[in-house]
Amino acid sequence: MALSSIFGGAAPSQQQGTTSNPAASKVKEQLKVQIAQELAVANVTELVNKITENCFEKCLTSPYANAQEGCVDQCLAKYMRSWNVISKAYVARIQQASTSGEI
Amino acid sequence: MSSINQADLANLDDGSKKEIMTFLEAENSKQKVQMSVHQFTNMCFKQCVPAINNGDLSTHEEQCLNNCVNRFLDTNIRIVKGLQSLQ
Repeated sequence: MALSSIFGGAAPSQQQGTTSNPAASKVKEQLKVQIAQELAVANVTELVNKITENCFEKCLTSPYANAQEGCVDQCLAKYMRSWNVISKAYVARIQQASTSGEI
Repeated sequence: MSSINQADLANLDDGSKKEIMTFLEAENSKQKVQMSVHQFTNMCFKQCVPAINNGDLSTHEEQCLNNCVNRFLDTNIRIVKGLQSLQ
């Protein structure tokens, strides 16, 4: 799972429904889009909060006279790279566990 | 965003309801994985990235992040097994 999926980059799966009713298909699609969008918003919010917390801690010190913009920018890049590394490692672990029948 | 027609929503056929449920279950599991990744990144970043000198991860930092997730999961599995053996 790549970071881009957090920002709603992954479109909801376009499943060809068995229903021929156009009203039902429309509601179904609307529901899926709405759910996917709300999850994307929740994920971005979580990411922004966690990065702010971590980079504030790493880059700024009392009495907070300087904004340390350079450090914050680098920290943001580092955090996103870390997110991708962790995601890959975790997904690999889940896959490994599921092929060996652990879960 | 166009709002959902409540009457159409109430009149969804069983096949559509089932499709929505399947979709929800899939999104739900994806979301659980995402939240775990948020948690692990938050925890491991604090431990593995001591200073910000540039925007790239060093090999050392990357290795630490990988180890951090894997050891956390090992610990989690061990705790679950330990608790199971107590029952």
